[in-house]
Amino acid sequence: MSEIRNGLRSKQEILSLFDVLRSQLDNFQDTREKLIKASRDATNLSKKLIFHLHHVMTEGTENGQEVAQIARPKLIQIEQLFATMKPDLEGDQFWRYQRVVSPGLQEYIEALSFTHYLTYNSLITWKEVQDRLSDESGSPYFPLPVEDYLLGVSDLTGELMRYAITAIPRKGGRATANAVCTFVRQCKTDFETLTPHSRELAKKQRVTVESLHKIEDVAYAVAIRCYEYDLPHDILDDIVSRTLGTSQPGESRGRRGDHAEFGYY
Amino acid sequence: MNSQLDYINDLLEKDSELRDKIRDEVHDLDKKTRMMAGILNKLHSTPQDQIAPLLDSVRPIIQSCRKNSSALAEIIPPNQLWKWKDMWSISLRNAIYSAALVEYVTTRSLISLEQVNATLGIDDAWKDRFALTAEDYLHALITLVNELSRLAVNSVTMGNFDEPLKISIFVKDVFSGFSMLNLKNDTLRRRYDSLKYDLKKIEEVVYDVSLRKLSGTKAPEEVSDATKSSQ
Repeated sequence: MSEIRNGLRSKQEILSLFDVLRSQLDNFQDTREKLIKASRDATNLSKKLIFHLHHVMTEGTENGQEVAQIARPKLIQIEQLFATMKPDLEGDQFWRYQRVVSPGLQEYIEALSFTHYLTYNSLITWKEVQDRLSDESGSPYFPLPVEDYLLGVSDLTGELMRYAITAIPRKGGRATANAVCTFVRQCKTDFETLTPHSRELAKKQRVTVESLHKIEDVAYAVAIRCYEYDLPHDILDDIVSRTLGTSQPGESRGRRGDHAEFGYY
Repeated sequence: MNSQLDYINDLLEKDSELRDKIRDEVHDLDKKTRMMAGILNKLHSTPQDQIAPLLDSVRPIIQSCRKNSSALAEIIPPNQLWKWKDMWSISLRNAIYSAALVEYVTTRSLISLEQVNATLGIDDAWKDRFALTAEDYLHALITLVNELSRLAVNSVTMGNFDEPLKISIFVKDVFSGFSMLNLKNDTLRRRYDSLKYDLKKIEEVVYDVSLRKLSGTKAPEEVSDATKSSQ
């Protein structure tokens, strides 16, 4: 047993070992707290950006380029937070703190993928996210875990549901809702194959399915009224916007089977 | 999206394969730590002159854990120590605990980090994949102290009245070490709190023994030699 070295016999030896351990544990805690703070800041800024984008879209900004421009400085601000984490996450240290970084990272991916969808009508790829989380020379701040990517974009479906439902009463909103519906349906199918690998993703998948149902119900409600009136889309748009005038649809009321809110069609 | 989906699926598939491999290895390590714990549990009912052979039967099992250490170091990809560490932490702590108990009973000393690494065959070159962390070491020491408080009680039952005194000195030293740490509100902290009860228990035993003037006096240096001959 003690062929290499002897055990610690004196109190002094034992205390000096604990001294070393103390500084190791203290360093870990300090770094951890620093990263928790940065991650929380990233979460808050991302939430604000998502909220802001919803607001911008209800104001009727339909131009993707415009959205991209509004979001750009805010995304850069969040990315700078991740850049400051780099020195603490090098080599084997990233996985030590991954659980601390993860919440901010996922919220950022949600905001980024929402911006990306509004700009390009497509799902941002893992590679594109990793590229944004890299410095000018292309070296990543830290390796982006696919789990965090998946969980981040999984939350995107909830935002899209809200976006689609608030879009309905606007000009061209029904087309938007249908496009979102198709997109979210595809996301659901794609993520489904990956759920056996991640319990977290399986949980989020249930939320995605719920969001999809809400959008599908809205699409149905809209379609059935279109058949009833049998009018061209642009004329229907005009009727809707004239009728709307005062009332605004509540975005959280799109429950399955609850079509009452579309009574104004 | 589809090529990316395949890529991600592939990555996750590989992670699950890795997880299975680690699980197998940890399962094997676990078998050994359980076997060692089973043998070491006999310390509480083994007369002094039979302790040496008992410890000798544990040593080869501890050494055989080296195979698991190098296997794990081989399987884990570079820089991913902390990604997978939770899978083997408990088993590794149990292995460290057994090594620490054998070391204490043999030499009355606290196993050092270097000794743990040497005993379990953990190479410093693997430190980004498989390593001894401060947390695992400390958890193992707490288990050691928990066990020593039992040993203090049971050795008196077996008529060995000096053992509680020796344990008391050692445990107090380890405890003052622990009290230097700034522990956060985590499992280590909760288990650290349990040390106080162990300390109290050992002191009660020491009190009972000295009150009845049962303990003989022996210098701590003679202890390891005395293990075989006394009583």
